[in-house]
Amino acid sequence: MNDEIPEGLRVPMISRRRMLRLSGLGIGAFSAAPLLAACGSSSDTTSAKKKGGNLVIVRAQDSVNMDKTTVFSNASLWVYQQMYETLVAMTDDGQGVKPWLAESYQMSADNLSCTFKLRSGVKFHNGQPVTSADVKFSIDESSKTKGGWEFINSAIKEVKTPDPLTVVITTKYPWAPLLADLSCPNNGIIPKDYAGKSSKDFYQAPVGTGPFMWGTWQKGSALTLKKNPSYWQPGKPAVDTVTWKVVPDTNARALQLQGGQAQINEAPPFSSISQVKNTPNLKVDLFPSTRTDYILMNQTKKPYDDVHVRRAISYAIDRQALVKNILFGSGSVANSFMMPSAPYYDKNSPGLQYDMAKAKQEMAQSSVPQGFTTTYLAQSGDAMDASIAQILQASLKQLGITMKIQNVDPSAQHDLTTKLQYEISHSYWTMDLADPDELVQYALDPKSGGHSFNTGMNDPDLIALVHKAQREFDKTKRQELYNQIQEKAAATAFLGFLFYTPFPYTQSDKVKGFKVLPTGYYHLEDVSL
Amino acid sequence: MRYLVYILKRLVALIPVLIGISLIVFFLIRLIPGDPAATLLGSHATPETVHELRTQLGLTQPVWRQYLTFLGHLLHGNLGYSYVYSSSVVDLITTSLPVTIWLLVSGTVFTLLIAVPLAVLAAARRNGVADNVIRAVPVIGLGLPSFWLGIILILIFGLKLHWFPVAGYGNSLPEHLRGIVLPGITVALALSPILIRSLRASMIEVLSSDYIVTAHSKGISTSRVVLGHALRNAAVSSVTVLGVNIAYLTGTTLVVERVFSLPGIGQQMINSILGRDFPTVQGITLTFAIMVVIVNLLTDLTHAALDPRVKLS
Repeated sequence: MNDEIPEGLRVPMISRRRMLRLSGLGIGAFSAAPLLAACGSSSDTTSAKKKGGNLVIVRAQDSVNMDKTTVFSNASLWVYQQMYETLVAMTDDGQGVKPWLAESYQMSADNLSCTFKLRSGVKFHNGQPVTSADVKFSIDESSKTKGGWEFINSAIKEVKTPDPLTVVITTKYPWAPLLADLSCPNNGIIPKDYAGKSSKDFYQAPVGTGPFMWGTWQKGSALTLKKNPSYWQPGKPAVDTVTWKVVPDTNARALQLQGGQAQINEAPPFSSISQVKNTPNLKVDLFPSTRTDYILMNQTKKPYDDVHVRRAISYAIDRQALVKNILFGSGSVANSFMMPSAPYYDKNSPGLQYDMAKAKQEMAQSSVPQGFTTTYLAQSGDAMDASIAQILQASLKQLGITMKIQNVDPSAQHDLTTKLQYEISHSYWTMDLADPDELVQYALDPKSGGHSFNTGMNDPDLIALVHKAQREFDKTKRQELYNQIQEKAAATAFLGFLFYTPFPYTQSDKVKGFKVLPTGYYHLEDVSL
Repeated sequence: MRYLVYILKRLVALIPVLIGISLIVFFLIRLIPGDPAATLLGSHATPETVHELRTQLGLTQPVWRQYLTFLGHLLHGNLGYSYVYSSSVVDLITTSLPVTIWLLVSGTVFTLLIAVPLAVLAAARRNGVADNVIRAVPVIGLGLPSFWLGIILILIFGLKLHWFPVAGYGNSLPEHLRGIVLPGITVALALSPILIRSLRASMIEVLSSDYIVTAHSKGISTSRVVLGHALRNAAVSSVTVLGVNIAYLTGTTLVVERVFSLPGIGQQMINSILGRDFPTVQGITLTFAIMVVIVNLLTDLTHAALDPRVKLS
C-alpha cells in the first residue's frame, strides 16, 4: 500500500478528541483508528500466511453497541473497528496517518479542503462497491448524529463527491487535525443509506469494508466476527473468526489464557506481569500507549481554586513510588498532561515533580497554610485507584491535609466528577487520534464539554493558545505552541499528572502479529495463530 | 388436587411479595448516583443530549409515574427494554436464566452426592474416626470463599489434569455437562457442610429412636435399617435446611458464575448494575425473587411428600 504522504501533511495529522475513560465502566471513551501496519509488520505479514483458526480474546467488559457515531466504549470500539474502515489510518507509531480506503489525498493551498482518491475495487461485506457517495453519507452521518462523536467533525463544512472515486472535504476554517479526525473510528465508512435499512437495524448487524464481518453476539457473554473472504488486502485476514469473550474476573481471564481457551488477555493487572513472563507458552507485551493518569482537583470548590494548594499537592505526589508500587515498574513518571506517544509532546516540559520541601513552601503561601480536610472520590473495586488514594493520603498528611477516601462505584464516580460534585479524584485519558488537539481541547477549553477535564479550569490565555494551535499547519510553529501550552498548563497545576502507562497484553505464544497502537486500537487482519 | 390448590395459593401469595420487591428495587437503584443516559453517552455528551436521551428513556418523569408505567408493563409480561444491551429484558433473562438454573440444579445434585453418603457414614460410625473427620473437614470448607475454591478447582482439574474446561459453558449439551462439573462442585462444596451437619444430627437422633431399635432386633440388616428406615425420616428436616440454603445460594451463584465465566443471570445482574441498566436490574431482581419462592415451594412440597404428617395449607 502506498505509504507516501504528501508533503505538508505528514505532520499535522492530528486530531483531537478525548477519551477519558468512563471510568471503569468501559464506557470510557477512547478511540481508535484503524491501522495496521503495512509498514512495521512486514514480518508479521509473512507469518500471517498460516491460515485459519479461531482467535479468542478475553476481556472484562462486553461491547455496548456497534453504532460508530455514538458509542465510545473501548470494548465496542475495538470490535467495530474490525468492520468499519476509514479513509486514512493512524500509523503504527501514532504520530500521523497513512492512506487506507483513500489511496491518496491532497490538501489545498489555502488549507481549507482536502481531496481524497478512493482505492478502486473495495467492496462492502454485502458485495456493494465503495463509492464516494458512501463516504459522504458516512461522514455526514457522523457529523449530524448528536450526543456522540460529532464534535470530531465540527470543523467540517462540506463533503463533496465530484466523481465516484473522489471525495473533497472542506472545512470552515484551516483545521490542522482534519486528517487525524478522519482516521477516527466515528468516520468509518459504511454503505450509503445503511444499505436500505434503518439505522437501528443496520447497527444490529453492521456492514463495512473491514477484514471481519458481523457474526453472532450473545450479549454479556461473547461476540464473534467472521473473516471477510473478499477483503481488499490480499491474503488477509489469516484467522477464520475472532471472539471477544466477556470474563469479568481477572483471575479467570488469566486461567483461561493458561488453559488455552483464549489466546489474548486484554488488560491483565500489572502485578501479574512478572508471573506470566515465567509461564511457558505465554508472552507479555507492554505496548507504548497514550494513557496518562491524573489527579483531578475541582477548582470550583475551595481551596482547590487556589493555585498554591494545587501546586502543593502536585509537588507532594511521589510519582516514582506510584510507578514502583502500582505499575510494578511498568511505566514512567509524567511531566506533562500530554503523553510521549502523542504528537507534539514536549519531553522538556518541566511539570511539577515530587519535592516535599517545595510542597510545604506552596502550602505556606496558600489560603490554607495549616492544611484542610478533603474527600477523595475513589472507584470501588479498582485496585489502582485504591493504591493511588492511599499513597496520596500519606503524602498529603505531611502537608496537614487530612484526606478521607470515599468509595463509590465507577458509574457514580464518573457521574460525580462530570457534574463537578467532588473535591479530588483520579482519572485517565487515552488518545483516539494522532493529534493532541483532542486531549488539549478537552483538558483546557471548558467549551469542549469536558469542563476542562472536570477541573472547572477556565484560563483565557491557555484557551487562546489551544485555538491558535488548531489552525496552525506549520509543524515547527505548532510544536512551539504546544510546548507553551504544556508548560503553562503545568504551572497552573490544573491536574496532578501521575504517570504514563503502557497497554499490557498477555498472549499465547501461538499468536503472531498482534500489535496495539498507542491509542489502543489493533489490526486483527495481521494476526495469525 | 390438594397439591394443586396449595401451589396455586402459594403463587397467588407471590404477587404482593413481588410488588414489594419491585418497589424496593425500583426506588433503591434510583437512589444511587450514576445516570444511565450519561453513562451510555460517555463524557463528551452535551447536557442537552443527555437530557434528550433521559426524556427518551422516560427518566425525566416523576419517579412514581415511572414506577406505575413499569407496573403497567409488568402486567403484560413486559419487563422493559435494556437500553444498554439494545434488547428486551425478557430476552436477556431467557438467555441467561437457563445457565443459572443449570448451575443450581447441578450444585444441588453434587451436594446430595457428597453430603448424603458422608452424613450417613458419620452417623452410622458415630464418634469414630470417620465421624470426626467428616465433622471437622467440612467446617474448614465452610470458611473458604467460593471464588477461591473455584479457582483452586480450575487450577487442579482444569489446568493440571485437563479433565474439565477452565471456564465457559460451551454450545452443546456434552459441553454444558462438562462445563458445569467444576462450578457445580464449587456450589456443592459451599452447601455440603451445612447439609452434612444437619443430616448427621437427624440421623443420629433417628438411629437412637425406638423403631430403629425394634427394626434391629427383628434382624433387619444394618444397611437396610440405616438407608431404608432412618435416612428417609432423617431427610425430612434436612430438606428444609437444603431448601433454605439453595434459595440463599440463588443470590450467591453470581460469584461462581463470575469465576467460571458462565453467562448466567448473576453475571448479567452485575453488568447491569454497573451500567445503571435500570430495567434489567429490576427484571433480574424479580426473577431472583421468583426463583427463591419457587425453591421454597418445592422444599415444602418435598417435605410434605416425605412426611405424611405435614399438612399443606
